[in-house]
Amino acid sequence: MSTEYVPGLEGIIAARTEISMVDGANGRLVYRGYVIADLAEDMSFEEVAHLLWQGRLPTRAELDALTLELAGWRTLTGPATTTLEALPSDTDPMDVLRSVVSVQGVEHKLEKPSIPLAIHATASLPTILAQFHRRRQGLEPVKPKASLGHAANYLYMLNGKESSPELVHALNTYLVLLADHGMNASTFTARVIASTESDLASCLVGAIGALKGPAHGGAPSAVMDQLEQIGSADNAEHWMREARKRKIRFMGFGHRIYRTYDPRARILKAMCERLNSKFYALASKVEETALAILHEEHPERPQATNVEFYSAGVLQAIGLPTDMFPTTFAVSRAAGWTAHVLEQSAHNRLIRPQSEYIGPEPHKPVPLAERS
Amino acid sequence: MPEFSPGLEGVVAAETAVSEVDGANGRLIYRGGYLIEDLAPVASYEEVAYLLWHGELPTKAELDALRHQMALARSLTNAARGALEASDPATNAMDILRTVVSAQGSTKTLTKPTLDEAVCLTSVFPTIVAAAYRRSQGKEIVKARDDLGHAANLLWMMEAKEPPPDTTRLLDTFLVLLADHGLNASTFAARVVASTGSDLTSCVVGGIAALKGPDHGGATLGARNLLDNIGSAENAEKWLTEAHARHERFAGFGHRVYRTYDPRAKILRELAKTAAPELYRTAARTEEVALEILHEAHPERPNATNVDFWASVVLTGAGIPKELFTTIFATSRVSGWTAHVLESLSNLRLIRPASVWIGPAPGHKPLPLAKR
Repeated sequence: MSTEYVPGLEGIIAARTEISMVDGANGRLVYRGYVIADLAEDMSFEEVAHLLWQGRLPTRAELDALTLELAGWRTLTGPATTTLEALPSDTDPMDVLRSVVSVQGVEHKLEKPSIPLAIHATASLPTILAQFHRRRQGLEPVKPKASLGHAANYLYMLNGKESSPELVHALNTYLVLLADHGMNASTFTARVIASTESDLASCLVGAIGALKGPAHGGAPSAVMDQLEQIGSADNAEHWMREARKRKIRFMGFGHRIYRTYDPRARILKAMCERLNSKFYALASKVEETALAILHEEHPERPQATNVEFYSAGVLQAIGLPTDMFPTTFAVSRAAGWTAHVLEQSAHNRLIRPQSEYIGPEPHKPVPLAERS
Repeated sequence: MPEFSPGLEGVVAAETAVSEVDGANGRLIYRGGYLIEDLAPVASYEEVAYLLWHGELPTKAELDALRHQMALARSLTNAARGALEASDPATNAMDILRTVVSAQGSTKTLTKPTLDEAVCLTSVFPTIVAAAYRRSQGKEIVKARDDLGHAANLLWMMEAKEPPPDTTRLLDTFLVLLADHGLNASTFAARVVASTGSDLTSCVVGGIAALKGPDHGGATLGARNLLDNIGSAENAEKWLTEAHARHERFAGFGHRVYRTYDPRAKILRELAKTAAPELYRTAARTEEVALEILHEAHPERPNATNVDFWASVVLTGAGIPKELFTTIFATSRVSGWTAHVLESLSNLRLIRPASVWIGPAPGHKPLPLAKR
């Protein structure tokens, strides 16, 4: 069997999954049967991670056990700390994360991915980022606090003090919203790597590499940069019409799958309005203008604000530096990546597609001395 | 929407001119239209890397320039050296490679993949592999020699003595044969990472991560372990018959694409005769018996010795310890990975397939924690 080439594998089914479903036609994101809007406000990241890994929400006892396990694995190994300190302090945080997740996950013998390994890896991401961020500001690292949850502890290690419940809740909601999203490029990368029976750390490192791309997780900072250039709501219409003449893309718009408003964007937008009114005033005007212009240009295309657009405002309100938006995305998505790796590895078949050769027909090489 | 093909078997995921696996006719074609059996006897690894990157074999002057550029790019950055020295010497060599390449390619800001970067990353693999080996032996790291070619310098850095020409030739031929192979899992992983607009290092690190799996690059080690377990030609029949009865898979047999004898395996089989005569005897008998058993079990399947089987014998003959096999495979394939990434840039489209939902019907409300 050989199918026709579909660029980007658009619409090609690459896996069966029961972890999450992006129901683009109805604008629904479903985690293990639950609609995202029903999870976002009340669930902790830990509960959602349990849901993604185990297939069901935890009982109180299970949640306590998971929280304890996560808290116990927040410390970096010696080689991981040394590697982190060897990287120049102006390194892109995504490259730091890629390198230090790689060393944190090294093994002597090949191990099969497992839930405990998924928990250990997920637990370590905030520590890597916080230690690096402290270091580049010339500050001492802050030890994790076992009494704090995943979101609260991340902020605590970054800032050296506990954040307000409101900000912790906002970060937690962000982490819940971004934790999984069907067969996105980084998750798919993780599954391709898992399909060779490689180890969990390898899958994560590959996924981080994919998330780094601006067409994937690298976009939130681009949203911020563009909003900064626009400067004010009054300037939006003028700036954006001019930008279009120069073929500049609007950042934070467009998604391959949603035909209606992204349900995560809706929740993040409401959070922005509450938490970051300055951002919201500008962003909502930019959104309105962008959608109007995009609709004029392509009336056949659906409403297209994507999750990155309002993520930027939420993460800014939480106090995260712009260059740590993509890495914070990774903190969340680590739960989904590892869940998909476990699923792939339980029903594995090597992911090895075909290619279509478009080069010349075979002929003999000319010996080196005769080439000109 | 087409039906789900597990492992994307038969699904065309890219158009490429870098290489073609013509499984039906048992041909491997490298860029420019050269058959692998025409290149292997005459071309060095550097020539083949040039071919994969540029699309044509180099002239003498172009080859000299590439050799010079590669010789100058063999040293580690401070960050990479730090990551290397931080690693426990007993760590899996692929994990060290994954980490140190990640550190070596860390940057301040996102860069688009370039040919120069491809050359630099390719040049540094032997340095990392040899250093990981020296450290695992408790020996001092050896500095690169800029008067030696890619293969010879790798052997020099491993053993601190200049290798005999025959040994260099064995390794060089292995590096030529393994440099590219259509849309295999690691190359595909690299292309998925590239499709997000990520950087070349992230693509290469994703390739390493996928190659590590025993269903991919790890199979060469698997094949050598099989031969070690069998021990002698005389023991092959008994051992394999018993293993088959236990439903054990034979490492080194089976390939999704070739319907005839893998052309690379054919070349390596010839080389193996003189490279490692004792192991060759065991391997030849093992192959004979394994193919008989496999044919009896599945008469409909084709002849199935794969490249990993004979590669394990040739690498042994070249004096490479089996713990390094996968890293040497990576040292070869990095030119293919980077060639594919560079090719994909001309028409970049996010690789984002679909999935089929097999989880519970969406929409039931989550129970509050206290009621679970």
